[in-house]
Amino acid sequence: MSENTIISFDNVSKSYSDGTVVLKNVSFELERGKFYTLLGPSGCGKTTILRLIAGFIEATQGDIFFNGKKINHVPANERQVNTVFQDYALFPHLNVFENVAFGLRIQKISETDIKRRVEEALKFVNLIGYGVREIQEMSGGQRQRVAIARAIVNDPEIILLDEPLSALDLKLRTEMQYELRELQQRLGKTFIFVTHDQEEALAMSDEIFVLNEGNIEQSGTPVDIYDEPINRFVADFIGESNIISGIMEQDFVVSINGKPFECVDQGLNPHEKIDIVIRPEDLEVTTVDKGKFVVTVDSQLFRGVHYELSTYDEAGNEWLVHSLKQADVGAKIGLNFDPEAIHIMRLNESEEDFDARLESYGEDPDEK
Amino acid sequence: MKNKGNVFSLIPYYAWIILFVIAPIILVGYYSLLDLDGHFTLMNYKQFFTSVYLQMTLSSFWYAFLITFFTLLISYPTAYLITKLKHKQLWLILIIIPSWINLLLKTYAFIGIFGNKGPINSFFNWIGLGDQQILFTSFSFVFVSVYIFIPFMILPIYNSLDKLNPALMDAAKDLGASRLTTFRRVIIPLTADGIKAGIQAVFIPALSLFMITRLIAGNKVITLGTAIEQQFLVTQNWGMGSTIAVFLIIVMFIIMFLTGSKEKGEARNGKTK
Amino acid sequence: MEKLSKTSKLYLTFVMVVLYAPIFFLIFYSFNSGGSMTNFKSFTLTHYKAIFEDDRLMVILINTIIVALLSALLSTVIGTLGAIGIKSIRNRKFRNTILSMNNVLIVSPDVIIGASFLILFTMVGIKLGFLSVLLAHIAFSIPIVVIMVLPKLNEMSNSLIDAAKDLGASKRDILTRVILPYIKPGIFAGFFMALTYSLDDFAVTFFVTGNGFSTLSVEIYSMARAGVSLTINALSGLVFFVTIILVLGYHFLTLRKTKGVRN
Repeated sequence: MSENTIISFDNVSKSYSDGTVVLKNVSFELERGKFYTLLGPSGCGKTTILRLIAGFIEATQGDIFFNGKKINHVPANERQVNTVFQDYALFPHLNVFENVAFGLRIQKISETDIKRRVEEALKFVNLIGYGVREIQEMSGGQRQRVAIARAIVNDPEIILLDEPLSALDLKLRTEMQYELRELQQRLGKTFIFVTHDQEEALAMSDEIFVLNEGNIEQSGTPVDIYDEPINRFVADFIGESNIISGIMEQDFVVSINGKPFECVDQGLNPHEKIDIVIRPEDLEVTTVDKGKFVVTVDSQLFRGVHYELSTYDEAGNEWLVHSLKQADVGAKIGLNFDPEAIHIMRLNESEEDFDARLESYGEDPDEK
Repeated sequence: MKNKGNVFSLIPYYAWIILFVIAPIILVGYYSLLDLDGHFTLMNYKQFFTSVYLQMTLSSFWYAFLITFFTLLISYPTAYLITKLKHKQLWLILIIIPSWINLLLKTYAFIGIFGNKGPINSFFNWIGLGDQQILFTSFSFVFVSVYIFIPFMILPIYNSLDKLNPALMDAAKDLGASRLTTFRRVIIPLTADGIKAGIQAVFIPALSLFMITRLIAGNKVITLGTAIEQQFLVTQNWGMGSTIAVFLIIVMFIIMFLTGSKEKGEARNGKTK
Repeated sequence: MEKLSKTSKLYLTFVMVVLYAPIFFLIFYSFNSGGSMTNFKSFTLTHYKAIFEDDRLMVILINTIIVALLSALLSTVIGTLGAIGIKSIRNRKFRNTILSMNNVLIVSPDVIIGASFLILFTMVGIKLGFLSVLLAHIAFSIPIVVIMVLPKLNEMSNSLIDAAKDLGASKRDILTRVILPYIKPGIFAGFFMALTYSLDDFAVTFFVTGNGFSTLSVEIYSMARAGVSLTINALSGLVFFVTIILVLGYHFLTLRKTKGVRN
């Protein structure tokens, strides 16, 4: 455990009395001052991790450490952690000022200090002068800010955010993404953000934990996770991708539908069955004769920046292609891609082995 | 995670349930098996199933049915019309206020209104009908009961009507339903819970009224309630009184079961007597 | 908003007139210097004066108010605590059972409540009088308070409690700073309901009151059985007046709440 570690989970499991297991032997460490995102579909255990850190629930097994101290049984009201809730959980019987002051009043801080700190916090979230407003008078975005102010005013070491943007409309959500990221950098506090929205995760985080069915599938920077997903689940969940089975014939050669292609991966067993990911934006539309393989265009949608083509190869595999040019539905087209566009995923590879394998490609300047 | 403070907060409440909900029902059951000397007997039940009591029960049910029917007949359109009004909350309060005036006072008013020299008889005289005996008839009993119960019926029906999504009416119209069909096929089924709650709020008390029967109906009408009061407070035959009470409790549970809605207690804000 | 037809308006007016006519009829004759509700001789306040000069009636009036206030207060405390407790019961089945038990006294006919309480008090050995009436009123008011408070509690999102914990609140803080302020409208509504139930109750009190103790309803009943007395009319006038004030006061209170005028 390094000195910079603020939270660490050691083989933590959580199950409920009815037998449902929501977290399975999860271990990880979080560093001070970073923006972390727990990403996954609903029911993956991301909110459970958050609630364990906040202290709303206790782990069934394993230990949780905060600044090196075990906090398994420390109640929520004694933890230096504050939460921004999904529904904001603002107290409707208190006005904006009193909502923000709630935690300070509990600590019995002097009235002048409360006034100063609440106003500071409101200033931080651009709500100067809104103190006397009732919660009911605030818009969704404003409530969001009040919730953030209420969390930061207590000067916690960690701020937990439970899908705080999910109730906002698209435009406001994008705005708040910038603001939250900026806020975290100004405060220099550890943020742990829970979301099921992969775009949000990619845009804001220093590091992302992708969760599925109570396990951490992969953790890493947004770029790592996007470019090098560890398995089908991560590849499918993050961004759009074409995932297809293949065979690693030998180093730097992979075969798809029995056809060999050049790639940059090495060190796998010869003839090992693998999964291959090619992102739609890495596929280039060309003429039939120039393509590495040929597909038939099945349908096409205009997406603003690009056209999204749904195509099928001879073996019946679907290939999603992002193209700047329009194609004719029903026409045959060639698809071209670089060797780097092929990303190889071994079946059931652990995150450790995966990281070691990527490490071994280190000498290749194109990787990473 | 159990909150220990909450366990303590429940102690007086649980004590209340045991002492004032469970114990009284058991005691009534126990007393129904006792004769006047305090010996165990089934005589009370035997007696209950004789023609005298059965006839009384039957007539009590008949009156309760009439009262509920007329109350519903008057209340439903009223509730419906109120939901269409601009200041519906205000109108609702106006409907509720009379229900907050002491029941005895309202009943007492009818002694004057229906009396031999009261305004109704003056009216009859004026149009040449001559004096009629209104007080101490079954008509006056039903009329006064309906009058008393109207607010309790309007309230739950109003609540369920008010919750109706107006788009549903538009949808029905859009799909070609006439006003009558919309009413019959959409509005009535969707407000069924309110109607049931209203019936529950009227029928059970109507079975057990005794004050109105004594003041307004003379002894023309004897309800189950009157019989219980008679046995307990006049004849001092608690055993027989309890037997009738047991029967009334059973009927109550049956009606609660029949009119039980998914949202228990929500539509019921009215007071019942 | 569609316009109401003439018939509809007429119908509503008719219902309103029928609902209020008996009350105004009573109040009208309370000012009658003649002795009956038949012909109005001249305006007088003697019947009102009679109420305040009748010591027995004044005692009964005070008794009624004391019983109402005390029973409303105690049932509000027990009912509110009960509702909070019910909310915290995890086991669904058990909670529903408790809720059904709660509703038994609400749907029970008054005669049954009165008769069974009479048996209970006699068995336990509580003397019929002030105490038995007070206990009975508390007993039938508790479920009403629960019914009024529970929706407020159910409406309260669990994350509010989490948020309070998160911000350092102890269990006590959570109760006094979050739960109670939040459900305050429900508690007030419960208190008012309990108050009106108690003031209005006749049947239960009639069963469990002894010879020496009487409430207004019971007194009116025995007066009415004896025949027409314009003192009752004057009482109606007073009761109506107080009711209107209560209604307006309550309405004003809730209106202020919903408009959210706070400092």
